[in-house]
Amino acid sequence: MKPFNYIQANSLVEAGAILAASSNGAIHSGGTDLMGCLRDRIWMDEVDVVVSLSGIAQLKYIRKEGDAIKIGAMTTLTEIATSSLVREGCLMLADAARATASPQLRNVGTLAGNICQENRCWYYRYSYRIGGIIECVRKGGKKCLAVGGDHRYHSIFGAVKKCVAVNPSDTAPALVAAGATIITTNREIPAVEFFTGENGKCSTVLEAGEIVREISVPFGGEGTKSAFKKVALRKSIDFAIVTSAASVLVDDGVVARASICLGGVAVTPHPSSEAAALLIGGPLSDERIAKAADAALAGAKPLKGNRYKVKMARAIIADTLAECS
Amino acid sequence: MSASEKILSLTVNGEPKRLLVKTHWMLSRVLREEIHHTGTKEACGEGACGACTVLMGEKAVLACMTLALEAEGKSVETIEGLMSAKNPHPIQEAWMEEFGAQCGFCSPGMIMSAKALLLRNPDPTLGEVREAMAGNICVCSNYEHIEAAVLSAARKMREDGAQNG
Repeated sequence: MKPFNYIQANSLVEAGAILAASSNGAIHSGGTDLMGCLRDRIWMDEVDVVVSLSGIAQLKYIRKEGDAIKIGAMTTLTEIATSSLVREGCLMLADAARATASPQLRNVGTLAGNICQENRCWYYRYSYRIGGIIECVRKGGKKCLAVGGDHRYHSIFGAVKKCVAVNPSDTAPALVAAGATIITTNREIPAVEFFTGENGKCSTVLEAGEIVREISVPFGGEGTKSAFKKVALRKSIDFAIVTSAASVLVDDGVVARASICLGGVAVTPHPSSEAAALLIGGPLSDERIAKAADAALAGAKPLKGNRYKVKMARAIIADTLAECS
Repeated sequence: MSASEKILSLTVNGEPKRLLVKTHWMLSRVLREEIHHTGTKEACGEGACGACTVLMGEKAVLACMTLALEAEGKSVETIEGLMSAKNPHPIQEAWMEEFGAQCGFCSPGMIMSAKALLLRNPDPTLGEVREAMAGNICVCSNYEHIEAAVLSAARKMREDGAQNG
């Protein structure tokens, strides 16, 4: 790992100022993704300063305010997974947090960090220690190596700026399905607009010096049920091949509201309003669930080596919706 | 002292330590190479195996993914903090009795994960043991013995607690 300056910020204002003054600063919340990126030296520009938020105790909270669960940026995934408030008001988020990584990583990894993490494409992540860096299209190079190479875990919904690396966050689809809002030092961003493949190495719309302060999640009221499912090679310490999050409000046997979001299938979390619309107005039956699952995958454009993910995603959406009944 | 060095103050196994560290050093390096507690193993070095698990406060964390400076002011416990060969901790006793170790390389990390679990949940079910230990990989695939060792350690510690209480 290359040496860098390390500063523990006392406030987000201070952290933002340090970032703005640095040439290529990085925020350390839990550090579990950042350390991997630094150790493998996957970025073209070396990080000159690491700004740690771990000294800012005020950023660690989960509380209910009106109809929302407010989660401070430094709240760990363990705290979210075990929070009775989150389990009651947004089970899919608690279960997504619980499905992430391993107990040790969840003890330090934060929700804010989880949604800001870098993608896991093995070309993008190719380590300096084994002959990297690969200057792939996401890092300003000309070509995506995954499209012509091994893309078994890559996007089945096309490329963004030629890159087919998927967003790897387990909590991202849950936040999108929940209609959460990401509150930064500058603005409030709906979760569905927070993720992008347009900004090169970053997987979010965050601008230079902008830091996530809080995540606001609507509290699912009476009758709302949500669920999260993850398919990965290993049960623990593994990134998803496909995830699915769904939330359904059934009123008097009829679906009144529904939202569905897939993860691990596209460059950004992949919600399907068409599929959700198909569920509204009737019972949450197996037949209607199957139609919704088909609709969610209708626009899929898998690559040669990942067609299996379409079937996998369809099956896991159906499973997730069935769990909401 | 340059910008890439800082003083780190922390407690390791109850002993206060103060040392000069490089800002990019990991806690595993400081524990092994500066403090010479080599019980903490580093295997994958990327957070995927759990061999470097230590306790920070009462939480299991990965020393290979934790910047040393993130431990500033914290209390860290490693396998050396449990007990000596002559006077083993109940978890270590259970490990020996239930054959929790084959090659033994994963044992320090496994035992620290087990300790974190038993601190917050003295009477775990098998399912809870599996979830709590899911961040530790045993390449010998000795998992059944490890589960038995954790459950046995839980019984021992409850009995000890009952006797002392």
